[in-house]
Amino acid sequence: MFKNHTNYKYILFVLPALVYVAALSFFPAASVVFLSFKTPKGAYSLGNYYAIKGGLLKSTFDTVIVSFGALLIQLFFAILIANILIKSLKGNKLFSTIFIIPYGISTVVSAFIFSLIFSAVGGFANSTLHSLGLLHLFGIAGVNWYATQYTSMGIVMFADFWKNTPLIALILLGGLSSIDPAMMEAASVDGAGSFRRFIHIVLPNLAPYIAIALLIRGVSEFNIFALPLVLIGYHPSLINTLVYEYFTSISSVDYSYAAATILLLIIVAFAVLVIKLGGASNYEKQ
Amino acid sequence: MKNSNILSYILAIILAIIFIYPLYILILIAFEPVSLTFDRLYPYQLPFDFTLVNFESSIKDLSLITPVLRSVVVAFIVAILAIVLSTSAGYGLNKISSKFSNKIIVLMFFANMLPAIVIAIPISVYFIKLGLYDNVFGIALAQELVVLPISTFIMLGGFRALPVDIENQTNIDGANLLSSFRYVLVPLIRVPLIITFLLAWMTSWDEFTYAIIISPLAPTFPVSLYDYVSRGDPFISSSFALLVTIPVIVIVVFLQKYLKGEYLTGGMKA
Repeated sequence: MFKNHTNYKYILFVLPALVYVAALSFFPAASVVFLSFKTPKGAYSLGNYYAIKGGLLKSTFDTVIVSFGALLIQLFFAILIANILIKSLKGNKLFSTIFIIPYGISTVVSAFIFSLIFSAVGGFANSTLHSLGLLHLFGIAGVNWYATQYTSMGIVMFADFWKNTPLIALILLGGLSSIDPAMMEAASVDGAGSFRRFIHIVLPNLAPYIAIALLIRGVSEFNIFALPLVLIGYHPSLINTLVYEYFTSISSVDYSYAAATILLLIIVAFAVLVIKLGGASNYEKQ
Repeated sequence: MKNSNILSYILAIILAIIFIYPLYILILIAFEPVSLTFDRLYPYQLPFDFTLVNFESSIKDLSLITPVLRSVVVAFIVAILAIVLSTSAGYGLNKISSKFSNKIIVLMFFANMLPAIVIAIPISVYFIKLGLYDNVFGIALAQELVVLPISTFIMLGGFRALPVDIENQTNIDGANLLSSFRYVLVPLIRVPLIITFLLAWMTSWDEFTYAIIISPLAPTFPVSLYDYVSRGDPFISSSFALLVTIPVIVIVVFLQKYLKGEYLTGGMKA
């Protein structure tokens, strides 16, 4: 009885934060879904979705490519970095400081730097190729990095890899340091080489951490907005930039709700997928 | 064993070069005369010259100072609000049963997963009505959503690490809730408080989506940098970008030992 009484008192401390989240995130998100069915004429139908279905389909497709591509690259390099850092080589501190730097450079600033590196004329990437003699070899003045939509998407993926790999590497480093060294020793006594140790011991033990990293990064991956907006504008539009493009012109504000609803749907689907596949029991275990 | 260490070194050095290169380029174009970088078809990659002209002209350009100051103000509001809300929530969550408090944390993180742009668009409509549109408080209130779950989680962790009896002892000594908070609890949770403050500050400093939708005419620094870049006028912004990047890198290097995976994943333990 007394216990219950104290519980209620303490919920009051949590209430401001909870109300805040509900009012400023669940309520607006629900209203977007509701408004997406309201056509400019005021009727409720699927009109907004039909009106933009071509563009929506294409940018959804492109977003999925960029997200999964960037995720795979990040995961690969994050595993690499975590495995290097766990060895505590000489100079480890310097390396880990360097690897964390991109985390501290704001997204727009990094997009800005990459736009300078990959500009078609006077870019530093072309300058590097020039000094290596590669441009001369192919007889061109410079590579146009934005020649096709796939190269543009590649640039976005690269910038995203650079900015966000540190975060995943940190998460995986936590996972690696939780592996009992005795297990590794036992395996190497049994004659397992470093590759087999990685496949049979490191990877299975790391799997839950990979799932968490995938969930966290994957959700934000579908949300990348500043990077593509600065680097490639609307060529091609990813789903976030598409929402923004519709939102910023008065005639198509209603369409932005429809595109936003699709984005919401993808994210929820992705989160459910990752939780079902890898991290289902993570919450219960703690 | 020796061989694998050499391989690790080579990989580490290659990766280090990739990760430091963009920052190096930013520093280079900030201190190099424009004639050696932007004006060349193949800009020089090595520091052949040194000048402060870029810095002088960017500092003289007041149009960028205002957004930077605005960003600073917004970041401080976000960080202070994060401290207030998350300390209160963390304190309360620590007192209720962990089964219930975990559910609340999960709920908050779920809210965090909702796309910023989906939330920002309807919020901007409400904010116009409330007079918070194009306003530092408006941006701060929206950005708070991004930092609140992680802050609450960090503060909850801080309170959980304290001995249970400590508050009872202060009660016996005659302290009320406020004074036990002020004189006993706050000094003990100093580290989580600092981490929460800095992480919230950094997140706000970096945030772009809410800022551009809620305050397009009174932009924060990321938004005005985007304006400059999209107008094809990066010359002034480059040295400015470096100026505003340095403090954040310092914060990150300082935070490095605290930036454990667990804080960043928001407590989803494997």
